[in-house]
Amino acid sequence: MSSLEFRNLTVTFGRGEKTVVAVDAVSLVVPDRTVVGLVGESGSGKSTLARAAVGLVDARSGDILVDGQPATTGRRRRGGLQMVFQDPYSSLDPRMSIGASIAEALPSDVRRAERRGAVAELLEQVGLDPLLAPRMPSGLSGGQRQRIALARALAAEPAVLIADEITSALDVSVQGQVLNLLREVQRGLAMSVLFISHNLATVCYLSDIVAVMERGRIVEIGPTEQIVADPQHPYTRELLESAPRLGEKIDPEQLAVPD
Amino acid sequence: MEFVRRYETGAGWCPDNRGMAQQTASTAVEQSPSERPQRSPWLGFLLRRTVRLVVSLFALITFAFLIIHLVPGDPVRKALGLNASPELVSSIRAELGFDLPLWQQYLKYLGDLFSGNLGVSLASRLPVGETIGNLLPNTLLLAVIAFVVVMVIAVPLGMLMAVLTQNGRRRGVELSFTTVSIVVSAIPEFLLAVGLVYLFAVTNPWFPIAGMDGPASFVLPVAALALGPIAAMSRIVRVEALAVLGLDFIRTARAKRLPAWRIYLRHALPNALTATLTLSGLLLSGLVAGTVLVETIFAWPGLGPSLVSSILDNDYPLVQAIVLVYGGLVLLINFVVDILLGLADPRSTIKET
Amino acid sequence: MSTTDIAEKMVDRAAARAGTGRGGLLRRLATSPLGMAALLVDLLLLLLVVFGPMIWGAAAEEFDVDNMNSPPTDGHLFGTDSLGRDILLRVLVATRLSIGLALGATAIGAVIGLLLGAIPAVAGPRVGRAVVAVVNVAVAFPGLLLALFFASIFGASPSGAMLALGVAFAPGFARLTQTLTAGVVGRDYVSAARVIGVGRLRIIGRHLLPNVADTLVVNISLSAGGALLAFAGLSFLGLGVQAPSYDWGRMLFDGLDGIYVNPAAALAPGLAIVLAGLALNLTGEVGAQLVGRRVGSARLPAKPATGAATSVADGPDGSPGADDLVLDLRGLTVSFPRGRGEKSVPVRGVDLRIARGEAVGILGESGSGKSLTAMSVARLVPDPARVDVQSLTFEGRDLSANTSRELRRMLGTTMSVVFQDLMSSFNPVMKVGRQLAEVATEHQGIGRRAALDRAIGRLRSVSISRAEQRALQYPHELSGGMRQRAMIAMGLMGSPTLLIADEPTTALDATVQRRVLQLIAGVRAAEQSALLLISHDVAVVAAMCDRILVMYAGRVVEDIPVDDLLAGPRHPYSRALLAAVPTIQTDRSQSLRTIEGRPPQPADYPIGCAFAERCAFASEKCQQDPVLEPIDNGSVACWHPQQGPVPGVVIDSPAVVSRQRATTATAGPVMPSHEPSRTRERGR
Repeated sequence: MSSLEFRNLTVTFGRGEKTVVAVDAVSLVVPDRTVVGLVGESGSGKSTLARAAVGLVDARSGDILVDGQPATTGRRRRGGLQMVFQDPYSSLDPRMSIGASIAEALPSDVRRAERRGAVAELLEQVGLDPLLAPRMPSGLSGGQRQRIALARALAAEPAVLIADEITSALDVSVQGQVLNLLREVQRGLAMSVLFISHNLATVCYLSDIVAVMERGRIVEIGPTEQIVADPQHPYTRELLESAPRLGEKIDPEQLAVPD
Repeated sequence: MEFVRRYETGAGWCPDNRGMAQQTASTAVEQSPSERPQRSPWLGFLLRRTVRLVVSLFALITFAFLIIHLVPGDPVRKALGLNASPELVSSIRAELGFDLPLWQQYLKYLGDLFSGNLGVSLASRLPVGETIGNLLPNTLLLAVIAFVVVMVIAVPLGMLMAVLTQNGRRRGVELSFTTVSIVVSAIPEFLLAVGLVYLFAVTNPWFPIAGMDGPASFVLPVAALALGPIAAMSRIVRVEALAVLGLDFIRTARAKRLPAWRIYLRHALPNALTATLTLSGLLLSGLVAGTVLVETIFAWPGLGPSLVSSILDNDYPLVQAIVLVYGGLVLLINFVVDILLGLADPRSTIKET
Repeated sequence: MSTTDIAEKMVDRAAARAGTGRGGLLRRLATSPLGMAALLVDLLLLLLVVFGPMIWGAAAEEFDVDNMNSPPTDGHLFGTDSLGRDILLRVLVATRLSIGLALGATAIGAVIGLLLGAIPAVAGPRVGRAVVAVVNVAVAFPGLLLALFFASIFGASPSGAMLALGVAFAPGFARLTQTLTAGVVGRDYVSAARVIGVGRLRIIGRHLLPNVADTLVVNISLSAGGALLAFAGLSFLGLGVQAPSYDWGRMLFDGLDGIYVNPAAALAPGLAIVLAGLALNLTGEVGAQLVGRRVGSARLPAKPATGAATSVADGPDGSPGADDLVLDLRGLTVSFPRGRGEKSVPVRGVDLRIARGEAVGILGESGSGKSLTAMSVARLVPDPARVDVQSLTFEGRDLSANTSRELRRMLGTTMSVVFQDLMSSFNPVMKVGRQLAEVATEHQGIGRRAALDRAIGRLRSVSISRAEQRALQYPHELSGGMRQRAMIAMGLMGSPTLLIADEPTTALDATVQRRVLQLIAGVRAAEQSALLLISHDVAVVAAMCDRILVMYAGRVVEDIPVDDLLAGPRHPYSRALLAAVPTIQTDRSQSLRTIEGRPPQPADYPIGCAFAERCAFASEKCQQDPVLEPIDNGSVACWHPQQGPVPGVVIDSPAVVSRQRATTATAGPVMPSHEPSRTRERGR
């Protein structure tokens, strides 16, 4: 069993007059062995929700539960939450070898002697050569770095994995590799995943359930097929209509006549 | 040059913070403009800066007050020397209010300050306010002239160097410019002053060696103050201008097929200048500090020699007052520069909110 | 991705490289000639500090009563002082005190500064903010002034001056520490470490310190130079070293009195101060350059560039005649010098013809050369790059020659460019309206007022509400979508016959993207202008264009009408691109068809077909350069062109689908599907 639940989560930034409500009383469940996709445009609060889940941002009110228990971050224990970040160039310490970065995330009860083997296994798991372990991240491509970031998150044996825009910084031909990998890993480990993206197509492709977020609120949530086939909320419809489809033509906008 | 270091530590080659122009361009992206009309950011900006100035001034006043109390040992005994009679010592103690509890002394100090009474010098027995009133204008004149000279020479020079050496052209020009400017800016003003005295007053008696007497007497002190900053400032202007020339909106300007002069003067220069303006506060403050040494060398009738002698003589009332004046000047300069920056770059008013 | 992001990443990578070797800084310092010189002087100073007083200490105190205030003689190279002591010996002996005190002050400053600077990172936010505020005010004070202030407390003595100077230096260090750590703390790898549960101390030790250490060390060495000069200044004022001790500053002070009698007495210590200060500064500067090596030098180690075999084929038959062409570009090559006579060639022989009113898309991944191609057409490639063309004709005019004022005017009004990065593509300190109006005042000889009116009209025509007010606002006051509209309005100031749009919607949200694309299509319809659209997104290009050029590794690999592309392109790379990106219609039960490996970098372009190493159909033959050969309605550069619809790709166009049905009978496989588990990237 591994599930993640947000209960009435609210996150605000700033104080007094300038308070911005980034996440507004959001309740969301990521059930066991399920991929929940969270889609929304920039500023909708989806990344803030993710950062709040892993404790990088403090929630103002509400609860974050992992398997029904309040989420505790850190402690280097199994069964928590882990996150893969958007920018593969910023998410690896340039002064730390790939192996060390991954090993750092291993649960603290993994014995020293076993660590090297565990790192090699994780690299294998994300489709990388275990011989990369002693290398520094500097020469690696975005796709390789994102695989390593995934391996690091998996090293902590999380109950739920949060993937925040993990393909948006990657080249088109590499995006598919990372998406496939995430799918394969999720199925292989029977993991729960919160998959966050601004790209409706990738979210729909990967997720069992899709939640649509707008201005800090979840405006619609449902099984992927249902969201695609029969959207209820106007914003969901707008997102669906805006998503580029292969083969359609863009209707030209009528220009206003300048006076 | 010290302000160069400040520049570099703030925005120099640190990996995360390259170039002020670029930095401002990227921070602005974060700002999501709200659709609803809001109150002018200007007012808030002005208010915050004024509050900051007042708080800083208050801290400065408190520091000046504390100087005399932080001195190890008995400051009065120190100031008057070991041979002073006990009567004299106790009368001075009373005059300075040392008999009162600390907080009362502080209140009295504040009261005196706001009524314009800066006390009496222990060494000369002259009112401190009068001494400062006589000497400060000469110091300011020197610093401001040097500042104008620096700006008038360094900005065009740096801009020219940027245009000449952009995209790695004219490597030779670039190398010699940087080398000369590094060397010149590494020579402190008091050494330049000594060198200039030797060359143009001793060996070739073209300019007076000391004193303030007519335009000719300004040449050497101003040169001693300005040479280093010119070298450093022009280097910074060049770096900033180069950074700006690499930015996207310069490409937009090129795409508009504007003539080169228009791109450099209308688009690149104002953006490079905002960074330069930030530094001009540090530059002017640095020049004010530099006058202390240069005035001493050229026997200039400014505040600098008085500061030095008052420290040497333990003439605490004078030290306190001069610390206040110099410190207040620095704070005021920074305040004005901040305001100017707000006017020149509309983003800086919202950047920090 | 904005250019600043890219620049940041480049710097990041450079920084990463800089930190790979252990103790590498010193070694690299020694390899630059300037650093070499600085290190030599440093060594000399060190020797003098250690041995100077031992060797000459006594001799420097000897009075030569016959030669008081003597100018330079054979016996006294720099003369003597008022007591007849040898100046040269005293300068040498004074090295220890001068440097020692400077280093002491630097150490005091560095320790206090590091502690102060680390507080915001360690303590709570409230204390942190207070410390930052104090440091910000203190840092505005010139160090010498602060030192003088503190000297009034600590008194006129060497230790007092050292303390005063140290305290005066502290705010600078504190600020630097704050800036550096704040930069690193914001990085995702620190966030990742926190999520993993790495403790605070370990984060500081393993992630923060290693990433700021180089810069800090370099700065401390820079400051040592500054401290030396400042200390000399204090001693010179009589506030530092007191007789009978002497450092360089004190000697300068004594020497200045006798400058008419023996100038050398003042100049010798002065020279020593400058030399030592310069050496310390240079050590720091060179170190700084090495640590902060910037974009320009941050390229990968050079590999021999492949011979740029220009394989320019003529375009497809039936291409429009020269009269109907807005743009005719032949044989475009863009190269960057890489030093030592080598160069990388990111664009290798591209031909591009655009008919009047035609919409052409260039599709490719980052590094394919698509943006450079567009920028070459617009003549906006920055300078170190070298652009070579066989011919470049726009509106019948030869653009490969130099720009005349008249040609510039023509380009300014007929060729419009829409850039990707919304924020940075506008001048931040100029009002939006003025930036538009500039085009009219410059090229159309219109007065400022009339030009601004025209700008407002254009803003209105791209549906910007309250255009009069918007025109008087600064770019940062507009939203992203509005800025993109304003950028397009800028292109409408003239009457464009060619609109070049370089990833115009990449940074935008889907809903905004659609509206901007609709606007661009609207401009095309209204102005009858041709469009050159650059994008990495198949769907965007297909929705906007008549014809698509697929670029890979600096070459056009396929040139194809958009319906043919959708029905099933010929080049294996085009087919893979089409299949690699999921759309709403993509079958969720299937894995995405991916392309193994990654696109080659310009430095690594192989001989022959650049896609061969990732291609399932590659054969021996692919080691020869394929030539763009006409095929059907387009042309393809491939030895093994494929045909038929691409499996798994759902096309939302009845016309295309019916065409697909017609050809399905002869369809071969797209690409053998790769099981995801086998898509392993090998580290090179």
